[in-house]
Amino acid sequence: MRHALVIARREIESYFVSPIAYAVITVFTFVSGLFFSNMLVHYVRQAALADAQIQKFGRSDLQLDVPTVVLAQFFQNEAFLLMLAVPLLTMGLVTDERRKGTLELLMTSPVRGIEIVSGKFLGAMAFLALMLVPLVPMFAFMGAGGNWEAGVIASGLLGLLLLGGAQIALGLLVSSLCENMLVSAIGTYGLIVTLQFLDTGGAAGGSIWTRLLGSLSFYARHLNSTRGVVAAADIVYFASWIALGLFLAQRSVEALRYKRS
Amino acid sequence: MISLSHLTKKYGAFTAVDDLTVDVREGEVLGLLGPNGAGKTTTMRMVTGFLPPSKGRVSVAGFDLYDHPIQAKRKIGYLPEQPPLYPDMTVRKYLAYVAALKDVPAARTKAAVSLAIERARIGGAADARISTLSKGYRQRVGLAQAIVHEPPVLVLDEPTSSLDPQQRSDVRQLILDLKGRHTIILSTHILPEVSDVADRVVIISRGKVMAVDTPANLAGRLRAGASVRLEIGAGAGGLTVTPERVREALAALPGVLDVHAAIGAAGVITARIDSAVGVDVRAEAAALVTGRGWPLLGLSSDALSLEEVFLALTRDEREGAA
Repeated sequence: MRHALVIARREIESYFVSPIAYAVITVFTFVSGLFFSNMLVHYVRQAALADAQIQKFGRSDLQLDVPTVVLAQFFQNEAFLLMLAVPLLTMGLVTDERRKGTLELLMTSPVRGIEIVSGKFLGAMAFLALMLVPLVPMFAFMGAGGNWEAGVIASGLLGLLLLGGAQIALGLLVSSLCENMLVSAIGTYGLIVTLQFLDTGGAAGGSIWTRLLGSLSFYARHLNSTRGVVAAADIVYFASWIALGLFLAQRSVEALRYKRS
Repeated sequence: MISLSHLTKKYGAFTAVDDLTVDVREGEVLGLLGPNGAGKTTTMRMVTGFLPPSKGRVSVAGFDLYDHPIQAKRKIGYLPEQPPLYPDMTVRKYLAYVAALKDVPAARTKAAVSLAIERARIGGAADARISTLSKGYRQRVGLAQAIVHEPPVLVLDEPTSSLDPQQRSDVRQLILDLKGRHTIILSTHILPEVSDVADRVVIISRGKVMAVDTPANLAGRLRAGASVRLEIGAGAGGLTVTPERVREALAALPGVLDVHAAIGAAGVITARIDSAVGVDVRAEAAALVTGRGWPLLGLSSDALSLEEVFLALTRDEREGAA
């Protein structure tokens, strides 16, 4: 697997000279901050209102644990943002190598297909992890108010990495199928937005099939992690998507050699 | 060192390479010559393990490419037609990356990269970003990339095409320097290029092998493709040289098949002589022109165009069959 790390390292370095990556990380951080401060202000007001009600009437329906609620909402919003950001990070993974002709270098080197796709995957994952770093000051800001909720934060971040990992693996697969970066990005949007909202069809009860399909939804599976629940089933679920995406991407990359170019 | 046996590549009904069998001895330089679309790149890609053949086998340094792809690929350095470069990397970083992909031990990477930079003569640009380099330099970086792990076998696909004449001769010199250190397969559509560097030439057309021979023998067989161009001054000093008279005189020479003569704007008659197989008419033509007192302004032998080579080759085959 030494080759995978070599490829991952080059991938990370190439992100840092890519204007797309800088744009993605900047916008992601800005919008994350916007969501965070808006929600914090909203719920702190609610809490203040609740306190006032308790003082006046002795009870309140609004009682809530601000950090927990804010974090849960925040991580759900982040999942939505990831859905928008990831296709821009994965669209070039294989497509760009094909365009530059460097895929020929990789495929004629003593490197296995699985090492190529794992390297690409790890490179994109590392960048994703880096994107999450600017969120830490926001948590620290909230922590300064008294309550860190470290468990919820850890589980939320893990959830984002798992969700992002599944999105990246699928983006990698789509990228290996496309000759054009824009098509690759659009295709990935189609795939991961569909998976994100698979459960909406089964929301109104529905048959066993719609519920089964709904249970495959990214959104439903990601929800636990936003509330501080780390469930083995969720980890297995996202890991399975990652494994499937990487396996198919590897097959697809190998198959590129059979295409006439 | 390299052995191709019955190598065939089909895309549906189209056969890109048809039953190619050739062995390359250690240290030999084999030239693969053919027009665009002849199957050169397809062949190179099969030799390097990028394309799986439809039929046939490739073995490199004793490793079958199908059974032991990883071991075989370690033995190959490959420069594709488009050098596989990452424009955003510096030359040194890029070469270190390729060295790691090719399993050069980490401890030796630095030395291997420096040596490749030296051999490809890109020392001046070693720390420049590849995107800032000229086409000739990029080609040399591509060459450095192919030799960074000191492979016994080098596969170079059209290494000089799309370069200007100076860069072309530089790259050709680099390849000559590499000769002896590596067994080389090199493809091109330019005949003089192969005769400069190759020990043996395989001519392919439409995926089929037309001839395998040394460049000298091929050139001898293919003299028919040559044509001679004469430039004769007309009308100077009361002389009455006309294209018709030139044509008449030259056509009478032995071995001449056809003569075209025309007068240009500057009062220069240009005559083109097509001669038969194995006949060199240059000396006789010059003697004839000067003997008549016509001012001979120029004489040149047009380089063999591949088109003519193929015509000559296929003509030989037709005659042989008849």
